[in-house]
Amino acid sequence: MRVRNLTLLVFWLGLALFFSWDWLHSKPVNHRLEPPLFAAGSGQAPTGGHCSAF
Amino acid sequence: MSSIDRHPSGMSLPPAASAAETAHSGASRLPLTLAIVAALIALAWFVSLRQSALFLVGVGMGGILAGARFGFTTGWRRLIEQRDASGVIAQLGLLAVAAAISMPLLAAFPNDLMAALGPPSISLLVGAFVFGAAMQIADGCGSGTLYKAGMGIPLNMAILPMFVLGSFLGSAHLDRWLSLGATAPVGLVNEAGPLGAFGITLLGLVIVGGLALAWARRGGAQTPSCVDRRLLVAGAGLALLAALNLVLAGQPWGVVYGFGLWGAKIATAAGAFDPTTNAFWSQPGNFNALSQTVFLDVTTITNLGILAGALWISARKAPSATRLTGRQWLIGLLAGFLLGYSSRLAFGCNVGAMVSGISTGSLHGWIWVALAFCGSLIGVRLRRRYGF
Repeated sequence: MRVRNLTLLVFWLGLALFFSWDWLHSKPVNHRLEPPLFAAGSGQAPTGGHCSAF
Repeated sequence: MSSIDRHPSGMSLPPAASAAETAHSGASRLPLTLAIVAALIALAWFVSLRQSALFLVGVGMGGILAGARFGFTTGWRRLIEQRDASGVIAQLGLLAVAAAISMPLLAAFPNDLMAALGPPSISLLVGAFVFGAAMQIADGCGSGTLYKAGMGIPLNMAILPMFVLGSFLGSAHLDRWLSLGATAPVGLVNEAGPLGAFGITLLGLVIVGGLALAWARRGGAQTPSCVDRRLLVAGAGLALLAALNLVLAGQPWGVVYGFGLWGAKIATAAGAFDPTTNAFWSQPGNFNALSQTVFLDVTTITNLGILAGALWISARKAPSATRLTGRQWLIGLLAGFLLGYSSRLAFGCNVGAMVSGISTGSLHGWIWVALAFCGSLIGVRLRRRYGF
């Protein structure tokens, strides 16, 4: 159990490190461009990336 | 019931916890619950309300996947090896419910929502076949790798970075694979309308279910196992969350794009990759995503949610993984890389291509299933050969 907890800790620390680096090195979030909560009915075309994209 | 409940996934689950143990584990969930609530608030405050809601959807997905041990890979393997169709029937139920909700929505909001349309292509055939084999060796597809990593299974945690590397390289090479031959994507909702698309999809699901049951009966079982209430309920829950993902994000549930994005961002920052010269990453949407935080990416957020939801579940039901040899580790990591690479070639994994493709009426989802199942037939043999 201790080994599992340790490996889990390393795993989540690695993720936290990556996301912290990403946050610090990316463009700031522009809240004026915040999308509506629901895409359905918003009248805006989806712009996110998807696995089926090519 | 033995003292150790061996689950189909190969993980060993502890016997039912005593009242004292349950009380203790319940307490150990409190910090995790607080951390998840803090993440929800932080996302709503610093990123957007939509991303916060999508994180919650992901937590729900991870909770269901881990709580019910709903494995796409395991369901297929149990059908192949043990002629137990219960996992596959639950997956077909998931697809039916998700299609019943998603197809009318896509027709009602054609400009706001998009289907998971991938092109039928050589790339799809090769990618789906390899993915089907690799997921059996790695004991996890896209969502399976995520929830098992979240639960703390060592191989799946180690596979995740390999999945990221493979997804990135697959996306970077995608144009070369597409040049081997591809046709335009086929969307059933556009071709036949929502009712026609759902009818065709339902017919396809019934045929696949009939084939699965026939295969199970051929094994000689008098009453083939085909209904597992826990898995059916989990499948319905996942279908509802997948539909909610579509309504919130405007795009179907996906896993692999986020991994490729993480890899592309790291490679670009390290100076090892120039996205401006790459066919996929130079596209405006993808290029823009490289400069933004990954917290704005839909698939990244739901992936994080799945990890968190599975971690929350594992606080009470910690699985114990089998100790692997050095060779098994090497093969497992290679399979993880192939999972990432092939899922980009196949325009999705079990989630992006199968669940989202079929439930939103994409022909490529059906082609994916056929080829990935053929790959799984090889994969389960390789799995046995290497002693997994």
